[in-house]
Amino acid sequence: MIHIADTISPERIVSNAQATSKKCALERLSSLVASNEDKLVATEVFDSLVARERLGSTGIGHGVAIPHGRLGKLDHAVSAFMRLEKGVDFDAIDNEPVAYMFALLVPKDSNDDHLQLLAQLAKMFSNPAMRERLRLASSSEELYELLSQTKKDDSAVIE
Amino acid sequence: MKIIILGAGQVGSSVAENLASEANDITVVDVDADKLATLQDRLDIRTVIGCASHPHILERAGAADADIILAVTNSDESNMVACQIAYTMFHTPTKIARIRAVEYLSYPELFVQEAMPIDVLISPEQVLTDYVRKLIEYPGALQVLDFADGKVQLVAVRAHQASLLVGHPLKDMRDLMPKIELRVAAIFRQGKPILPDGDTVIEVDDEVFFIAAVKNIRPIINQLRGVDRSNKRIMIAGGGNIGLHLAEALEDDYQVKVIERNPIHARRISERLDKTIVLVGDAADKELLQEENIANTDVFCAVTNDDEANILSSLLAKRLGANKVMVLINRAAYVDLIQGGEIDIAISPQQATIGGLLTHVRRGDVVVVHSLRRGAAEAIEAVAHGDASSSKVVGRSLEQIRLPPGTTIGAIVRGEEVIVAHRHVVIEAEDHVILFMVDKRRIHEVERLFQVGVTFL
Repeated sequence: MIHIADTISPERIVSNAQATSKKCALERLSSLVASNEDKLVATEVFDSLVARERLGSTGIGHGVAIPHGRLGKLDHAVSAFMRLEKGVDFDAIDNEPVAYMFALLVPKDSNDDHLQLLAQLAKMFSNPAMRERLRLASSSEELYELLSQTKKDDSAVIE
Repeated sequence: MKIIILGAGQVGSSVAENLASEANDITVVDVDADKLATLQDRLDIRTVIGCASHPHILERAGAADADIILAVTNSDESNMVACQIAYTMFHTPTKIARIRAVEYLSYPELFVQEAMPIDVLISPEQVLTDYVRKLIEYPGALQVLDFADGKVQLVAVRAHQASLLVGHPLKDMRDLMPKIELRVAAIFRQGKPILPDGDTVIEVDDEVFFIAAVKNIRPIINQLRGVDRSNKRIMIAGGGNIGLHLAEALEDDYQVKVIERNPIHARRISERLDKTIVLVGDAADKELLQEENIANTDVFCAVTNDDEANILSSLLAKRLGANKVMVLINRAAYVDLIQGGEIDIAISPQQATIGGLLTHVRRGDVVVVHSLRRGAAEAIEAVAHGDASSSKVVGRSLEQIRLPPGTTIGAIVRGEEVIVAHRHVVIEAEDHVILFMVDKRRIHEVERLFQVGVTFL
C-alpha cells in the first residue's frame, strides 16, 4: 500500500500561495509537482490536471480540492500541496472557494493502490479537525508533518 | 468559468448572451467601443476595448485566469495570433477560433500544438453547409442534428394531417411502426413545450422532436409527415462561400442552380463547380426565376450575406411556386419573425454555430451540444465515466436516474450500437448518452449528473 508520505516531500509544499483563479492555482500547483522531479514538465502536469477537472471538479467541499491525473512518464505517484492565502472559485461540490489543494499524479497504468491513496486523501481532508490543523499550521514544514503523519496510522491523525 | 470572447460581432455577442446567463465570468474584447457599450447595457459582462491579438489587451482581459479563449473577430489572422499568444503567454487550457478561409482550413497540419495551438476550429460555412444539406436530404424535416458521429439523429418535424401518427397516443407507436425504434424527446404545441408520456397524443401542426438511429430517420419522417416528395431540383441564391460550398456538397446528387449577381464572381465559382449551373443575375428578379423554372424547384435556398435580399427573394420564389424555401438570416430578431409564415425554414448562422462552442463550455465530458429554439432548449451528448460509486449514472437504469424536469434521455450509443432509451436500460461506463432539455436553465443539473466524483482516477 502506498502512503501519502511516500509521494510528498517538504519542497513540494507551499503554505502561502497566491492565485486569482482555478486556472492560475492549477498552474502553480503543476509547477510545484514538477519541481524536483526530472521526468516531469509543468505544462504536461497542468494539461493532465485540467483534463481531469473537465470530467468533474475535484473540489470535495470545505475549501479542499484533490486535483489528480495520470502521466505516461511516471513510474510512481508524486504529489504536492498548496495552501492559498485566499480561496479561489473551483466549481466545488459545495460551491465554496478552495484554499487547500493536494495534487496527485500517478503513472498511466494506475492500479488499486493509487485508488486507495486517493480515497485515503479524501477521507483525511473530510475530517474537520485535520482541516483545522492545516489552517493553523504556520509553515510548510508543519504542513509536511501533518500530511506525512498519516503514514503511521490513517485514523490516528484524524482524532 | 472564466471566458474571454474576442470580437463582439454576431457570433461573439450571441455567445456572450448565451453564456452570461449561466453564471460564467465573461469578458468581451473589441476595437469598437460602441458595440461593447451596447452589449454591456444588456448583459452582465466585462469589456475591454482594443486589438484582440495584442498581448497587453489579452492580459487586461484577464487571460492569466481564463479557462477558455474564444477568438471570433472578423479576421482569421487575428484569431490565430490571439490563440498563439494565449498559448505561449498564458497557457490558456481551451483555445477556440473561428477560421473562415478554406485557404487555411485545407491544411489541418497547421493546427497542431507545435504550429498553431488552436484546440477547436469553428468554420461557420462548413457548419451551415452540413446543416442545409441534411435538411435537403430529409424533406419534411425542420431540423436535423447529428450525434455520435452521425449514428443517431435528432429530427424536428411538423406533424401533418396525412400522418399516420396524428391522433394516437405515443404508446401506440410501437404498433403503428413495428420494428422501428424511436424516442419522442419533446413536442412543441403552438410554441410551448409539452412533456410527452405514453398517453400524449400528437396533434396536427405539433412540432415533434424525435431521436432515432440514423437508418430509421427516413421511415419515421415519412410516417409523421406522409406528404413530402423527395428533393431533386435545388436553386441557391448567392454564390458566396456558403452558396459555393453548398453547391459543391449537393451537385452530385441533385440538380443545382446558383444565382450570383456579380459576373466575375459567377465565372470564378462556375470554374470550381462541375455540374452546377451558375446564372448571373438578381435572385429577386421575377422573370429570371420564372425562366429558370422556379415553379418546379423543390428547394429554393437564399444564402447571400444580405438578410433583406434573402427574405425578399425567397418570398418571391415561394409565391412563384417553389415547393420549399429556406433562408439564411443573420439578425436573430428576424429569424423569429420569418419562420413558419410563407418561409419554411429560417436558418440562423449563430444558432447553428453556437453548439460547437457550447460543447467546450459544458462541464463533464460533453462531446456534442446543439442549441435549439433560439437557445431556450438544448440537446447534448455526454459520455458517462467511472463506476457505480464515482458516477451518478453508471450502473443505474434510466428509471433510477433523477433527471431534472423537462429533460429526456433519447438514446444511448455503446460502441457501434444504438440503444433507444427505455426505462430498463442500464448505463455503462463510456456510454454516449443523448439528452434533450426543453429548458436550458436546467443544464447545470444535467452537467452535475455526468460529472465524475473525486475518486475517479
